[in-house]
Amino acid sequence: MTQTASAYPTFMERLTGRRAPVRTSRDVVVLHGVTKRYPNGRVALRDVDLVVPEGDFVFLVGPSGAGKSTLMRLLIRDELASKGHVVVDGNDLGRLRRRDVPRIRRKIGVVFQDFKLLPRKTVRENVGFALEVTGTKRALVGPAVDRVLALVGLTAQADQLPTQLSGGEQQRTAIARALVHDPRLIIADEPTGNLDPVISWELIQLLLRINELGVTILMATHDAEVVTSLRKRVVALEDGRVIRDETGATYHQAD
Amino acid sequence: MFAFIGFSLRRAWQGFWRNALMSLAATLTMVLMLLLLAGFFVLQNVLVASLSFVEQKVEVVAYVQNTATADQVDALVKHIGAMPEVASVTFVSREEALAKFRAMQTAQGRGDVTATLDTNPLYASLNVKLRSPGDLDTVTNALDGSPIVRNVLNIQALVERVTTVTTVIRNAGAVILGIVGLIVLFIVVNTIRLAVLARAEEIEIMRLVGASDAFIRWPFIFEGGLVGLLGALIAIGILAAAAQPASAAMAGFFNVLPLELGPVGRDTAALVLGTGLGLGVAGSWLSVRTYLIR
Repeated sequence: MTQTASAYPTFMERLTGRRAPVRTSRDVVVLHGVTKRYPNGRVALRDVDLVVPEGDFVFLVGPSGAGKSTLMRLLIRDELASKGHVVVDGNDLGRLRRRDVPRIRRKIGVVFQDFKLLPRKTVRENVGFALEVTGTKRALVGPAVDRVLALVGLTAQADQLPTQLSGGEQQRTAIARALVHDPRLIIADEPTGNLDPVISWELIQLLLRINELGVTILMATHDAEVVTSLRKRVVALEDGRVIRDETGATYHQAD
Repeated sequence: MFAFIGFSLRRAWQGFWRNALMSLAATLTMVLMLLLLAGFFVLQNVLVASLSFVEQKVEVVAYVQNTATADQVDALVKHIGAMPEVASVTFVSREEALAKFRAMQTAQGRGDVTATLDTNPLYASLNVKLRSPGDLDTVTNALDGSPIVRNVLNIQALVERVTTVTTVIRNAGAVILGIVGLIVLFIVVNTIRLAVLARAEEIEIMRLVGASDAFIRWPFIFEGGLVGLLGALIAIGILAAAAQPASAAMAGFFNVLPLELGPVGRDTAALVLGTGLGLGVAGSWLSVRTYLIR
């Protein structure tokens, strides 16, 4: 678990500039011929191929029910693919033993539209929770939490409860929680869905900054303005199929 | 490992108090259910004690020939007393029998009819107490086989009736205790399930951030154990407070019963503690399992 002198610089090392982000040719996410059929017979994904190299920023667009959420649930192994392979950071999730699943999930930070914060815990406790429940030594939790809170700009609000925060601050708390494990990949499921445009932009800026530090980001969104102006890679899903995968793309009206 | 246990205990304690209302409701349910169970358990014990008291009243009386010598009587007393089915043998001589008869007449306020008799008309007897009324035949036959026994009082029909009644009551008591136990099990497990359900969101987040199953499961199990332990201790406290006046009342009511409350109290406490802890732990284990299966 301890990766003191790992060849791979940790998120904090990259953040503090002690070690430069390395652009490897590794692929963080590989989907190969993935089909997902739910027990009720509905087919959410059909023969999807997707490769996301390390450090990429990918928008996942498409109408509701196109399979965006299913794809994300496959990546955190909340569901298993019915056919094909889902590989995250070199691990084939279909072949992963059950007890190794938590280890993979710690490499992935997840951010949801509805934040999923615990209402009775403060900002600091919500973020620290992710470390505590994965067996981090208590002495290490505090400093790590303080660092990510500083990164997302919530140091002043650390002792407030989620109900005392604005929507943007709540979402930044969720991002801090996703970051605290030093993940390879951040999956954001419509993170700006509940926020007004100005706050949305601030949040996108934060995600871009995190991406610049080398964290791969996969973000599902309906926000055409954001997608169009950033000119990042766009993967469009429709009816469970990838219908478009372009780099430097815009949000098409058809999406 | 210690860090893990420390973490789980700390989280269990936090979980208990952060959801204080739910936890106290679960504990209260536990207390009431344990009191119900303990009440039925004590009743069952009193019942069983009463029944064995009634059964011990079964006494085989064998009248001895007037011609029997003291040696012959001693030998018979020894022989019968040595049988494994026999609890005790007392020899009642003719004089004692007469004295008893007179005492009984006086107690009932009647005149002494025996004063008009020249000789003592009563026979000496062996009064044999049985360990179990089921052994009546064996003991009767053994007594009948002796040459100095004049006759054995036939109490077959009476004993059969007593045995039937006590068996039915004893089984009914066990069945009722079993049913009450099941009801307690369902209600307590359901209550704990609700308490865990209220924290579904927390469990989901733990799964998402990569907590291993053990880290999710054990805090809940400790919390369930805490509810069980607390419930059991409160229930035992209430029972202990109620025991003194209750046993005083019962001793007055059942003063004929050789009921020893010491062991019953100990058994009840053990039952309450064991059931409380067991149900708390098992209930939360089952409830959390639902979330960990995926």
